[in-house]
Amino acid sequence: MYALGVDVGSVSTNIVLLDNSGNVVEKLYIRTKGRPMEAVRSGLAVLKDKYDDRQIQSVGVTGSGRMITSIQIGADIVKNEITAHAVAAIQADPEVKTVIEIGGQDSKIIIIRDGVVTDFAMNTVCAAGTGSFLDRQAERLEIPIEEFGDHALKAAVPVRIAGRCAVFAESDMIHKQQLGYATCDIIGGLCEALVRNYLSNVAKGKELLPKVLFQGGVAANKGIHRAFENELQLPVHVPPHYDVMGAIGAAILAREKLEREKKKTMFKGFSVSDAEFKSRSFICGGCPNRCEVVCVLENQKAIGYFGDRCGKYNNRSFSPPAAYV
Amino acid sequence: MRITIPHLGNVYLAVKILFDSLGLDYVIPPLNSREALSLGSKYSPEEICLPFKLMVGNYIAGVESGADTVLLVGSCGPCRFGEYPELQIRIMKQLGYDVDFIVLDPVQSIGLNELFKRIRKVGLESGKSALSKIGSVFLAYNAMRLIDEIEASAHAIAGYETNPGEAKNLLSSCKKEVFSCSDPVKAVKILNQYRNRIKTIPADYSKKPLKIAVMGEIYTVIEPFSNLYIEDILMDMGVSTVRRLTPTWWLKDMLLKTINLNSRELLKASNEFLPLYIGGHARECIGEAVLAAKEQMDGAIQIFPMGCMPEIVSKSILPSIAQKKKLPVLSLVVDEMTGEAGYLTRIEAFLDLLERRREHVCTRC
Repeated sequence: MYALGVDVGSVSTNIVLLDNSGNVVEKLYIRTKGRPMEAVRSGLAVLKDKYDDRQIQSVGVTGSGRMITSIQIGADIVKNEITAHAVAAIQADPEVKTVIEIGGQDSKIIIIRDGVVTDFAMNTVCAAGTGSFLDRQAERLEIPIEEFGDHALKAAVPVRIAGRCAVFAESDMIHKQQLGYATCDIIGGLCEALVRNYLSNVAKGKELLPKVLFQGGVAANKGIHRAFENELQLPVHVPPHYDVMGAIGAAILAREKLEREKKKTMFKGFSVSDAEFKSRSFICGGCPNRCEVVCVLENQKAIGYFGDRCGKYNNRSFSPPAAYV
Repeated sequence: MRITIPHLGNVYLAVKILFDSLGLDYVIPPLNSREALSLGSKYSPEEICLPFKLMVGNYIAGVESGADTVLLVGSCGPCRFGEYPELQIRIMKQLGYDVDFIVLDPVQSIGLNELFKRIRKVGLESGKSALSKIGSVFLAYNAMRLIDEIEASAHAIAGYETNPGEAKNLLSSCKKEVFSCSDPVKAVKILNQYRNRIKTIPADYSKKPLKIAVMGEIYTVIEPFSNLYIEDILMDMGVSTVRRLTPTWWLKDMLLKTINLNSRELLKASNEFLPLYIGGHARECIGEAVLAAKEQMDGAIQIFPMGCMPEIVSKSILPSIAQKKKLPVLSLVVDEMTGEAGYLTRIEAFLDLLERRREHVCTRC
C-alpha cells in the first residue's frame, strides 16, 4: 500500500509515493507553468502504468494549488504547505529545531521544539531570494540553474549586492557587471545578499537553534547553502528529498488521518489522467461581496466550486471543508 | 441635506436605525468590496493606510448616489487617523465633488461647544422634538450594542455548534433582515429576537474548540472586508474567537476618555509591557494579548494595515509576551496588495500549530 502526496507549487508540482515504512518510492518533479491541473494530470499519467488504483491507500495535497487539485484527484486531506513541510522535516530528522524552506515564490522559516511547531513566518513583501528570482538571474547570466551554486562556490571575493528587493538586486547586479566584476564573485555576492535578506526579513526575531534543516527547491543551490552556514555559524543540513518535502508531508498527514479515522481513501483513481480538466471563473452578483468564484469542470461537467464566501456554490456538489479537518 | 457615512463593520445598521428614527435623508454606500477599494486606492495617497482608501471609496459611492454630506468621526490623534478628515476633504474637493464634511472629533480636541455645534448641524435637519431625538440616539446605541452582542455570541458559539455553519448563517440573515427594515423600532425588535435565537443554537459544550483572540488595529479588526473576512474563515473552521474592540467599546472608550476612566482592564493589563500611550490602539492590543494569556486562550491573531505605526510597535512587543506568557501570536498585515492564498495559508498553519501544541501539552501532563 502506498501513500500519495502532491505538492502543487507556483513553480513546480511534486508528486511522491511513500511505501508502508515511509520510504520514498516514487518522486516526480514537474514544472507547473501556471497550469496546475495539467501538471497533476501529466504526473499521474506517469504513475498510471506502474501502479494500480487499489494500491493507493491515501492521498494528501498541499501547495498553493491545493484546492483545485483536491477537487481534481479526490484528496483525503488538504493541508497548507507550512504544516506539510514541518511534518516532513520532523520525520526526516526528529531532532530538527529550525527549518529553512525556500521554494519557487515564497520562503518560510519554521521553528520546532520537541517535535512540535512553535512558530513560523513567511515572506510578506518581497520575493527576492526565492526560486523564481534565482531562475531569472541564472537565465540572464546564461548559466544553467543547476550550476548556479557551483559558480557561487568559486567566488574569491563575493561582491556586496543590495538584496533588499528583487528589482534593486537585479539592477545592482547589472551595475556590478558593467564595472567588470567577475561573474562568480557577483553570483557569490548575490547568494550572500539573499541569505542576509532572508535572515533579516523572514527570520527576524526568531531563535535559530541547531539542528537546522534547509529544504525546498533552492536547497539545491550550494552557494545559498554555504552562505547560510557562514552567516549562521552553524551546520545546515539538506535532507535527501529536500525538493519534495511538501509532498512527503502531505502524504504522511493523509495516511495519519485515514488511519486515525479508519476511513477509505477518496482518491478518484489514476484514470483522472485521461479526463479533461478545465476551470472557469466568474463574479457572483448575488450580493455586494462580489466573490470571484472558480468552477472546476471535468469533461465539461462541473465537479466543484470554490472562492465563494457564503457557500452558495460550495455546497452544491462537494464540500472542501470536510478534507480540512 | 443627504448624509452618507464610511463603513466600519456593522455600524451602518445602527446608523440606519438612527437616521430612520430621526427622519433624516441618507445614503448608505454599498458594503466594502473590491470596487470600493480600487476606487479609493486610485484617489488616495499610495502610502496611506488601508482604512483611508476604503473610506474614500465609500464617500465616492455615497456621493454618486446623491449624498451631499459626509458624517464621520475623527480623532485629531497621534496616528494617521488624526489627519484623515482633512486629507479626505481635500481629495473630495480636488475630485470636483461638492460635499460637506461633518467631523465629530473628540471633546478634548475641539471642546464641547464646537462638538455641539457640529452635532446640531445634523440635528437641525430632523423635524423631531428634542426629547424624541434623545430617544433616537438611545435607540441607535441600543441597536449597536445588540449587534455587537449578537456578533460576539456567534463568534464564540461557532466552535461548539452541533450543526456547523448555523451561527454564521444566522448572523448573516440577521444583518440582511435588519438592513431591509425601515422601521427603527421594529429593527431593534428583530435584533432582540436574533439575540435570543443565537443563544439557543444547539451546541455541544463538551467540545474543546480552539479559542483565539482577534486583536490589532481597530478598523481592520472590525471591518470584515479589510481583514479578508477572517472571523468568517475562523467560524468555518470551527474556532471560537473573541474580539474586544467593537464599535460599542469604541463609543464607551471615547466617552470615558474625557474623565480618564476608559478601558481600565485593558490598560492595566498592558502596563507590564507598554505603560505609555503611543497612539492608535497599541496599548489595547498589548492588553488584549496579556488578557488572552490570562484567560488561557489558545492563541491570538493581530491584524493591522500596512504602515500602521502604533501596531508596528505592538508587533515588536508581542514576541516577548508570547515568550513570557506562553501565548502563540500570529501577526497579519493587510493592504490592497494582500493575496488571499498566502493569508489563508498562514491562518491554517497557525491553527495547526495551536492544535498540535495543545495535543503535545496535554499528553505531557
